[in-house]
Amino acid sequence: MSNTTPPPVPPTGPGSPRDVPPLPRTFPVDPASLPEPIRDELQAPDPVAIDTASEELKDGANRCPKCGSTEIKQRPGTDLLVCLFCRNEWHGQRVEEEFGFGEGIDQLKGTVIASGARDIQADAASLMSFKCGGCGAEVTVNTETAMTARCHWCRHVFGVNEQVANGAVPDAVLPFHIKKDDAVARIRQFVDKRRLFALKAFKEQFTPENVVAVYLPYMIVDGNASADVAGHGEIKTREYTRGSDDNKKTYYDADVYQVQRHVDFTVDDLPLESSRERGNLNTRVNTNNIINTILPFDTKNAVKWNASYLNGITSEKRDLDVEELRPQLEDQLLSIARAQVEDSVNRYDRGVRWERERLDVHGTRWVSMYLPVWLYSYHQPGGNGGMLHYIAVNGRTGETMGSVPVQQWKLLAAAITVGTFLEGIALWIVGNSS
Amino acid sequence: MSDDGGLGLLLLGPAGATGLYWMLYRYYRNTDKSHAFERETKVEAKPVTGAEQDRKVDEVKGTQSKRIEDDNVHDYRDRVERIRGDSS
Repeated sequence: MSNTTPPPVPPTGPGSPRDVPPLPRTFPVDPASLPEPIRDELQAPDPVAIDTASEELKDGANRCPKCGSTEIKQRPGTDLLVCLFCRNEWHGQRVEEEFGFGEGIDQLKGTVIASGARDIQADAASLMSFKCGGCGAEVTVNTETAMTARCHWCRHVFGVNEQVANGAVPDAVLPFHIKKDDAVARIRQFVDKRRLFALKAFKEQFTPENVVAVYLPYMIVDGNASADVAGHGEIKTREYTRGSDDNKKTYYDADVYQVQRHVDFTVDDLPLESSRERGNLNTRVNTNNIINTILPFDTKNAVKWNASYLNGITSEKRDLDVEELRPQLEDQLLSIARAQVEDSVNRYDRGVRWERERLDVHGTRWVSMYLPVWLYSYHQPGGNGGMLHYIAVNGRTGETMGSVPVQQWKLLAAAITVGTFLEGIALWIVGNSS
Repeated sequence: MSDDGGLGLLLLGPAGATGLYWMLYRYYRNTDKSHAFERETKVEAKPVTGAEQDRKVDEVKGTQSKRIEDDNVHDYRDRVERIRGDSS
């Protein structure tokens, strides 16, 4: 406890992504108590997502894309993989085994950075980065198959003359599994659950077939860290009421304890946005939190970088380095540590106020990766350039999340109607009891 | 009915309207969603230590609040004073 620094800037308000997100399908009020049209929307099924924490990630099975068999071996002397069941051959080597990612995380020391800029291979030479003249986004294009491209953010069409200096080629890429039809169906299902109060223009222009496949840049981080937290906790010793019948008040007595905890832990494949713009999760000005929500991916199955995976698919270049992402990593590691120690302070039934925390990062390993996302966007006009609403589908698991613009007057009218109804009941009770 | 209870009941309308508005707004716009890395990342932790050093330092008598002041045990992302060691 040598020198102390003030806490970082506080989170931006309740309901922002700085809050721990609620569990899926949880609502602050019981949907059964709401009017039927609203209840039906809330209770409609969500698009099904594969649980990456289960099968695909646990066994790490890399299946033959043709027959689904896992009888796969590397064909000697080449980078080709061959299915021993159907003799199908294809390209792609899992970086997990190739570079030993996922192993020895508890032995990590210092900062290990995979060579995101490996020697440029034959296929990488044809890969060029362009700066979009429409919105300034950077888009990677495999010039062997296209000399023009459409920006996946603003849909501006641009050509080779707007080229900017090429950036980093990632270590690995996770190919798409979810097909376009599937993505369209999921987006449609997601929006069908949110039509009652949706912006009229959004509903009229809704064409999920315009969804685009895009590879977004991420840093996949393994870490080995220790954390210490200290604060105060309270245990209730007595609960009693005082006052007359009409004016009862409950009081509590409690013992105050000084609490501190220490935990050593490792994290495996924590994804961080390595695009500056995409990493800005300010829900007041953008809907990037939507793309953040569809994380994680089954990054264990990522294959060594090969530009041919990007044929016909746009991508966005990485523009953040390891050191720039380190504060965000430390922030997430501290959050994970706090979640880990939560169970150990269960006996403090009046809660714990953590006051100080300390993180020692012993070792980290960074791998840059392109991850597959289906992205549907809608631009809502308004002040400050309006708001770009995304609906995103995880290109591997199918997890779907989106931001549907609301018709404010409709939503307000519904809220006021329900409020008036409740107020009527309240007035009736007050009137009858006095 | 006491004044307090009556007043509380009269707030039911505005509170219900505000609550419903925010619930539906978040349901459509999903501004409160983000990657739940605390529970969706593979974390291997050694047993948590330090419980044996917890000690009673004070007592609170007759408080009306149900939880400790500034309770943040579930707010993992609520950063508090950071102690910097030599190694970080």
